[in-house]
Amino acid sequence: MEQLINDLKLQIKEALNLEELTVEDFDENAPLFGEDGIGLDSIDILELIVLLEKQYGIRLSNPKEGKAIFQSVKTIAEYVQANRKK
Amino acid sequence: MISILSTNITSPLGFTTEQNYRTVRSGVFALRRYEGLWGVPEPFTASLFSEEQRAALATPGYTFFEAIAIHSVREALSRVALDLASPRVIFILSTTKGNIGQSPTLAAQRIAEAVGITTKPIVVCNACVSGLSAQLLADRLLSAGLYDYAIVIGAEEQSAFIVSGFQSLKAVSDNPCRPFDIERIGLNPGEAAATIIFGPPASSSWTFVGGAAQNDAYHNISPSPRADGCILAILAAIHDWDMSLLATVCVHGTATLYNDQMESIAIQRTGLSDIPLSALKGYYGHTMGAAGVLETILTMCATDEGIVLSPKGFTELGVSGKVRISSGSCPNRGTSFLKLLSGFGGCNVAGLYAKDSRAPFGRSDCRPSIANCQVIKTHTVSITPQWATIDGQKLPVMETGKELLTEIYRKQIGNYPKFYKMDILTRLAFVASELLIKVVGEIGEEPAIILFNHSSSLAQDRKFLKNISNADNFFPSPSVFVYTLPNITTGEIAIRHHYQGETSFYILPEKDEILMQQILEATLNQGGACAAISGWVDAETDTSFECELSTYVTSKL
Repeated sequence: MEQLINDLKLQIKEALNLEELTVEDFDENAPLFGEDGIGLDSIDILELIVLLEKQYGIRLSNPKEGKAIFQSVKTIAEYVQANRKK
Repeated sequence: MISILSTNITSPLGFTTEQNYRTVRSGVFALRRYEGLWGVPEPFTASLFSEEQRAALATPGYTFFEAIAIHSVREALSRVALDLASPRVIFILSTTKGNIGQSPTLAAQRIAEAVGITTKPIVVCNACVSGLSAQLLADRLLSAGLYDYAIVIGAEEQSAFIVSGFQSLKAVSDNPCRPFDIERIGLNPGEAAATIIFGPPASSSWTFVGGAAQNDAYHNISPSPRADGCILAILAAIHDWDMSLLATVCVHGTATLYNDQMESIAIQRTGLSDIPLSALKGYYGHTMGAAGVLETILTMCATDEGIVLSPKGFTELGVSGKVRISSGSCPNRGTSFLKLLSGFGGCNVAGLYAKDSRAPFGRSDCRPSIANCQVIKTHTVSITPQWATIDGQKLPVMETGKELLTEIYRKQIGNYPKFYKMDILTRLAFVASELLIKVVGEIGEEPAIILFNHSSSLAQDRKFLKNISNADNFFPSPSVFVYTLPNITTGEIAIRHHYQGETSFYILPEKDEILMQQILEATLNQGGACAAISGWVDAETDTSFECELSTYVTSKL
């Protein structure tokens, strides 16, 4: 799980161009959206959907499903671990 | 205020305005479901020309996009006598993606030359509002006395590029779209070319009375839930118009969840809830750059016949704003209508049209004329891959190319991580505008943002094409796709500073200072803005770009 979380941090940082966020500072429990988190928006959710399909073979057709999955890096990792196809 | 002299619609439903209108009246639509077309893995429903139609419209030596545009312009021109070689005729092309992989200004020049127009064409690239923006520009340039006639064409050819891009945004329905319906789930791409030829006011013809463009300053792909920009555009376009004369409000009605909801709020809050709505995407899909022209023409035809066209695909209301919409065509005796469009980059445009002398003309007198205001340049920022200046003073920089922009951002701006998500064109305009705003402080109330270039968003287009060029690695990126619209650049500046004034992006054959000044002055004087950020921002690659943006204010003469 720890390796998956680290992989996801790197992949998310690259996919969303989070230049000013270092992987070390990227708290896997921190909320990804909203003012308390790292401030991702709706386009970022769509980009994360592409990331899941590209890296792990997981297809999310309804962006609304993403709200629960993309709460934090940890929730993404848990979802990936349970649903990954590659 | 300018008159409509001639029109054409070239679409999968016919090659003339009359054919199109008759077909729509008979309830026929062109939406079909496609699976595997162009290598797009997900199925989609679209309105596309058939192989037979493509063969009939093909013109040797021209792309299909150019061919449909040439056909449409020629057919419209066949109904009116114009001296096309006159320097008093302007050609305006509205398109979102034109010929993919080329600047749309090249297509515009080829189309203009093919039909015999000699003035430099202007391409309006304001995402989905382009078709109305182009008409608004025609009105301003003619009303300012700069030209006598304007040929406005909206054209779009669909492709894997556009379809997969909208699919990545989860905005496409694989079934026929259902504008304003409770079951709506997305849009259908459509292709068409539509032309309106404008001239001086004439008493018995349709008239473009006026219009307005406003930005939501909210989000680049989501409309403001409060419908801020749309409301401002409607109120400015309607002005003191007698609402009892309105036959219909022809809405954008894309059948996406957020657009239709937003428009319903705007209609309710502007007091238009009792005016019947018409929504035409159920017949043609979303024809993007052609939509504003095509839907205006069809609404004119319907109003001439005394009806409001039924919104195909609509059964049960699925928006919270109070609107009047019926599932069948209904009679109406109004002699004017309002056309609305909203698009990515937060832009919203409303246009008001009226028929013959029964309409109370003269309301345009309420707006300042071109002669009343002087447009004054106050500060200028210039950036190249090697240097940057503010009012001629060089900024100390170490880096070059794209890294130069990052260096300026870090040293002079900061605290806006979204900068790193922007494409090269948007970064360039963003950095220049930030430096300008830093120098000026307060620019003025609701400044307009009017940008020009030659290359459109070619650098980003190439990047998105890479996303979809390999069938085994077909992953269109939504964030890359969004920046393939150059007007997103203006939206980013508007969002950053919450500017809700007009935002527009024009593509020109070259950096033509005189034409740029004419467009800017016409925008400020007739659009009502008191200030602007405007200028040239062009990026061919990460290492080849040019930007010269200035702040402007108006002063009464």
